[in-house]
Amino acid sequence: MRRLRGRQKRRVCVVGLDGVPHGLLARLTEAGVMPHTAAFVRGGGLRRMRAALPPISSVSWSSFMTGANPAEHGIFGFTDIDPRTYRVRFPLFTDLRCPTFWDRLGESGRRCAVLNQPATYPARPIPGALVSGFVALELSKAVWPRQHLAPLERMGYRIDVDTQRVREDPDGLLDDLLSTLETRRRAAAYLWDREEWDYYEVVVTGTDRLHHFLWQAVDDACDPRHQRAMAYYGAVDRLVAEVWDRFHQGRPPEAEGEGFVLLSDHGFAGVRREVRLNAWLREAGYLFYKTAEPQSVADIAPETRAFALDPGRIYINASGRFGAGCVAPEDAPALREELAARLRELAFEGEPAIEHVFTREEAFCGPLVDAAPDLVVIGRPGFDLKATTRGQQLFAATHFQGMHTWDDALVWTRLPIPEQPEIADLARPILEWLR
Amino acid sequence: MAKGFTLWFTGLSGSGKTTLAERVRDILLERGMKVEVLDGDVVRQNLSKGLGYSKEDRDTNIRRIGFVCNLLTRNDVVAIAAAISPYRAIRDENRALIGRFVEVYCECDLETLKSRDPKGLYEKALNGEIPNFTGVNDPYEPPEKPEVVVNTAKEDIETSVNRIIRTLEQMGYIPAGDARGYTEEEEESIKERLRDLGYI
Repeated sequence: MRRLRGRQKRRVCVVGLDGVPHGLLARLTEAGVMPHTAAFVRGGGLRRMRAALPPISSVSWSSFMTGANPAEHGIFGFTDIDPRTYRVRFPLFTDLRCPTFWDRLGESGRRCAVLNQPATYPARPIPGALVSGFVALELSKAVWPRQHLAPLERMGYRIDVDTQRVREDPDGLLDDLLSTLETRRRAAAYLWDREEWDYYEVVVTGTDRLHHFLWQAVDDACDPRHQRAMAYYGAVDRLVAEVWDRFHQGRPPEAEGEGFVLLSDHGFAGVRREVRLNAWLREAGYLFYKTAEPQSVADIAPETRAFALDPGRIYINASGRFGAGCVAPEDAPALREELAARLRELAFEGEPAIEHVFTREEAFCGPLVDAAPDLVVIGRPGFDLKATTRGQQLFAATHFQGMHTWDDALVWTRLPIPEQPEIADLARPILEWLR
Repeated sequence: MAKGFTLWFTGLSGSGKTTLAERVRDILLERGMKVEVLDGDVVRQNLSKGLGYSKEDRDTNIRRIGFVCNLLTRNDVVAIAAAISPYRAIRDENRALIGRFVEVYCECDLETLKSRDPKGLYEKALNGEIPNFTGVNDPYEPPEKPEVVVNTAKEDIETSVNRIIRTLEQMGYIPAGDARGYTEEEEESIKERLRDLGYI
């Protein structure tokens, strides 16, 4: 009867704050911007957490929902390529190569209600209900079971903000963020009431969007949009409070916080320059294109020895692995070492741009390791790695203000997790708590 | 590359084998595969007509189903068998014969089976009116290492079907869910969104 505490059924409730760094949450809770979150964080338990590699939402959330490494779940980025043709493809939820913990909870009759989890599109059946998050395109394909579609449509549910108009109208983004968050709040309440669940999850992705476009407004108190950015965080705090209060209704005070998890999937920092890895590979003589205006890595020439995919994945164009691979397998280790050493030296105006270069073996472990990049490069805060094939400038200015960081995601929970957790470490304690 | 395989449902009467087999068949047909279902009750009315419920007759029945599944499998058809198949040794014999074999154990407790029992068979068997009724007065040997276990007392049909399909995908027997991936138009939309956020 481990499942029961007195007459209380064990449940887990997760609030995800996409792209919120540990340091920022600590600051906002201390500064009174997020008073409700501060109330439970103050008691301790807020930890810095490592994201999956590379630190982007599709990979990190896939590691969260499976408890697995990318070489086990098979999601290495928002993009992947066909190894024969180099054609870029976009992984779907069904490309996930191992079960989610929601599937595993279903095996013991537990049900889940999951709202706005990135990397779950198109929605497939899970034991319970799922509303997919980014990169979901159409709500009709993002909702399972379908009975929830009409109510969500009626309440004007929005998957994401409009990111196309931000450059022209940054203030419009702040309005959009608030109205999208409001529909998320309503949908969260709806799923809470309509689903019989043991596991509940809602993810806020507006935080990530705010940071990409208006990081300075978040980070710099002198920025003219700072108050509005803080008002958005105030609204996020109210959503956290609403979920927290519902979760604790009718529970004894000594059970406060039990089974509640607050987390982010990666951190954020300000951007100084974009670092275009394919431009560097080309300049350094590792990469050649077939055309003057390459659109993607599908346009690389056969003599290419290495190429990059976003954000910092380096692949050796090895024969036997890629359709036009020209590097003999016996030459690949030395080439990889050479690339890693040279990448570590990359600097902008004398300032080192690279924080880590992980080899495949350091970053990944699992049956799909052969599909993993040969190197994963992490930029220092301020240096945002890109793999665009357009533009030949190595260090480029950008209109984006924020970039993802790897080792300062956050987690708050009372579940037993490692002292220095990685995002994949959360699945097991959640499963064990519900067993 | 061989495309056929055998999906073998085993479990007590009323545990959901036929229902799940039919649901999985519909999904595989929708994905353009050739599929045949060999249902234990149907096979006993033709291929195994005249066989009884002694251990010997039961073994013969399961071997016959295995024989047909093997023919279908090697001709690139997905063979789905839904039969109580109570004895582990004969199921394993079929596994060895066919090779591309995925065993699904439909687990369900007796209380639930009794409550489902539309023909009152469990009640009669428990009252001693039906001899050799598997799970009541005849043995059932659950598989030791089935590829999939579905607990039909605890989980709904969608969950079970989903897990079976996911396992087949992960084992590489069927292409992943939407192997066609996104349409060109959808890909363009995704590219645009990823570009908007600086992800590509």
